[in-house]
Amino acid sequence: MGNTTDKVKILTAFEGMPNSRALSTYTSKGGYDALKKVLKMQPAQIIEEVKQSGLRGRGGAGFPTGLKWSFVPQNLPGPRYLVCNNDEGEPGTFKDRYIAELSPHMIVEGMVIAAKAIGACKGYIYTRYEFFEEIHWLETAIKEAYQAGFLGKNIQGSGFDFDLDHYTGAGAYICGEETGLISSLEGKKGQPKLKPPFPAVSGYLGRPTVVNNTETFAAVPWIMTNGAAAYKAIGTEKSPGTKLFSIAGAIKKPGVYELPLGYSFEKLLNDDCGGMLPGRTLKACIPGGASAPVLTPEELKGLTLDYEAIAAKGSMLGSGAVMIIDDRQSMVELMKVIADFYHHESCGQCTPCREGTGWLANIMGGIWEKQGAESDVDRMWTVAKQMGGRTICALSDAAAMPTMAITKKFGDEIREYIRRGTSA
Amino acid sequence: MSDKVSFKINGESVTVPKGTTVMQAAQQMKIAIPHFCWHPGLSVAGVCRFCLVKVEGRPKLEIACNLQAVDGMEIRTDTEEVKDAHKWALEFHLINHPLDCPICDQAGECGLQNYYMSVGKYQSQMDRPKVLKPKALDVGGDLVLDTERCILCSRCVRFEKEVTKTDALGIFDRGDHAIIGTYPGKKISHNYTTNLVDICPVGAFTSKDFRFKQRVWFLEEKPSTCAGCSTGCQVDVFGKEQTGTYYRLKPREGEANGHWMCDYGRGTYRHLNQEERQRFAFVNDRGSRRDVDFNEAIAVLAKKLKHTKADDVAILVSAQYTNEEYEALFDFFVGKIGVKKVYQWREPTEKLSDFDGLLLRGDRNANTAGLLAAMKLHKVGGDKPMNQHEDVAKSGAKLVIALVPEIPTGFPSLKTHLLGLSELEFVSFWSVNGLIDDLKQARHVIPLKGFAEKRGTFTNHAGKDGHLTTPFNCPVPDARCIVETVSALAEVYSRAH
Repeated sequence: MGNTTDKVKILTAFEGMPNSRALSTYTSKGGYDALKKVLKMQPAQIIEEVKQSGLRGRGGAGFPTGLKWSFVPQNLPGPRYLVCNNDEGEPGTFKDRYIAELSPHMIVEGMVIAAKAIGACKGYIYTRYEFFEEIHWLETAIKEAYQAGFLGKNIQGSGFDFDLDHYTGAGAYICGEETGLISSLEGKKGQPKLKPPFPAVSGYLGRPTVVNNTETFAAVPWIMTNGAAAYKAIGTEKSPGTKLFSIAGAIKKPGVYELPLGYSFEKLLNDDCGGMLPGRTLKACIPGGASAPVLTPEELKGLTLDYEAIAAKGSMLGSGAVMIIDDRQSMVELMKVIADFYHHESCGQCTPCREGTGWLANIMGGIWEKQGAESDVDRMWTVAKQMGGRTICALSDAAAMPTMAITKKFGDEIREYIRRGTSA
Repeated sequence: MSDKVSFKINGESVTVPKGTTVMQAAQQMKIAIPHFCWHPGLSVAGVCRFCLVKVEGRPKLEIACNLQAVDGMEIRTDTEEVKDAHKWALEFHLINHPLDCPICDQAGECGLQNYYMSVGKYQSQMDRPKVLKPKALDVGGDLVLDTERCILCSRCVRFEKEVTKTDALGIFDRGDHAIIGTYPGKKISHNYTTNLVDICPVGAFTSKDFRFKQRVWFLEEKPSTCAGCSTGCQVDVFGKEQTGTYYRLKPREGEANGHWMCDYGRGTYRHLNQEERQRFAFVNDRGSRRDVDFNEAIAVLAKKLKHTKADDVAILVSAQYTNEEYEALFDFFVGKIGVKKVYQWREPTEKLSDFDGLLLRGDRNANTAGLLAAMKLHKVGGDKPMNQHEDVAKSGAKLVIALVPEIPTGFPSLKTHLLGLSELEFVSFWSVNGLIDDLKQARHVIPLKGFAEKRGTFTNHAGKDGHLTTPFNCPVPDARCIVETVSALAEVYSRAH
């Protein structure tokens, strides 16, 4: 599934290795050495090291990981929790499952290190319902780690205790939002929580909680083994390290690629992925999962894959799901799929999202059924604009951003469809 | 560190305790920030996203309800950006709303209507079919639920969770198909259901008792105090003076009751309506009943009083009248005439210590404290403060002045008591309700004004006064309050011979 490149391999170090998921394979290549080192360190040192590495959250928002850990109040008595967000659901994204497939112990080790850093007593890996095999692999890894003394009481004789459990979601996209995930973990309806208070202060069961993406945790052991400076040396100044990109579409070699941040988009597409399928041309690309605004070939020229460069083009790196859209793909259909998806997944708490996602899907449904008016295109843009930045969580923005981009950049195609009843 | 913060809203400075939200401060300052989900008596949900305000120096608009004021903060609620955000927030609320105002009971007191006029006034852009949802659901209590009108503000869900602690409501499904509902096979069952009608900002919850009876803009609304129990909730009485009809009671925020009121108390307007009232005075010589006017009834009573020794006169008083009325009553009967037999009229089954933990108390009289104080002041009633009406029968009194409990629902034994008393030698019943009207043996009856039709005070269980300040015109022309009745009686008595 993965594609070997000659780049630095941190997250995909075990790619192509037989029996890569086994604890013995993992430890034979230095697995859990980082943990052993960390167990002798002070929490503040660990946090500082992660801060220095410049590691940013790989779930989509790109928030600095060390900074997030440092928000947990240090002197507050009582339990603290650590959660791995493995509810990978952003359309187009299939990179976290790849880590669980290759080396689930990398996730476990990263979590124990993070637990030591924030003083968590208990952690959960929250995986989406549909990942049946990944769930099995993660549960097996947890069991192995307990048996080898990397989890549980007095880890490796250090006096540090940390328990880890696996929790399976029920399949809602919104449970991938960190506070929605916490609600779900608490046994409640999966709805994001009003912030403030933030999870670092009041999260799972009202206790300080850190939620990180699977890929974020998986990067931590390498950083602790090789040092922050080595990690920072990879990638760009503001986007250090490597990132998994899950790339799909009418290209020769789709799959998961580990690339240093700041990698050339054209190089990824044309060299690593072998270019477009014969007879297809690049019409557009969604660079960071369905919620990232679509980019045109013009905008993609010279683009590098890092947080800043993509943001400068008005889109976002997001989860690193690169969706290649070719000339045969109808943007009307794409818009309809996106609108229906967010309509279906809106939790319904906040009015602009509940009503806005429904309205967009409603208008789009009309267009699709050939009952649209050309003014619908501008109306969708206007409605989407009013949905952005006004809600508890980012789902409303996630629906609004691609809608605004598609209706603006491909509005003529949609209007043409409305006039002629077919995509050009 | 100071426990106060100073900040500005629309340029106006304010100092508030630390922890105060911008919404709370704005309420104090009488600056209107539109909102649906925020309610001062409930937790903050932050879901309607209507109360967006501008915080100077911050990029995005923020919701005032979850925004803690900090020193030096500058808030604006009046910029074009904020106004536009409010307009859009309202439009989002309304796109799937059925707009069935002409047949909706909430019309006239609806958040959607009011905000449309204050911050909306846009041309609707919604030209697609709306989401349809279940309507006219009986969810228990006084409640009818229309989930299509609902804007999912979750006030009702939070009320059930936080106030009654019954958790009877939830939001089912998600997105724009989410609906408020009860759990399968369950209904809402408690004594506070109509509060959901009050806090529902739209017409999703309407009251079975009130719906379709009257358009709210035809109603007069007058502040009063609930006479239903010794808590003394602050209320507004809604009635129509033109027809002499009362329609409902609603809570008014007050120290005694916070924001709420019980369903039992809400029902205490019904006895005020004409069909339940004692509508005429009458005298009855046991065989020849005559309806008389007030003056004649007073003349008959004054004569009877003149010819009865003070020791043979007894007063039986319910604790549902005002302090001012007790004062006038005792001043004349005890102070002037020298009556010593004064008895409280109590419901034998009452449990005074009962309390439901929220508002309703076992003492279903608004003014037990006031009555006891008045009796103590006039040194009547003896050691036993809680005499029953049977004592009156045993006392051998030849003339009894009986102040009938006003609200029959709090007094299950009232009919039996009235029947028993009506057979005594001569009882003058002073009554708001008309239960006495059917009793053949009753000798003398004077109609009284109800609590909504007079001025005065009740003293509640905690010793706090609740005021009756703004009377309705009484639909019973001959009715008087006790102060007026006693005053007329004293006047005639002084001339009688």
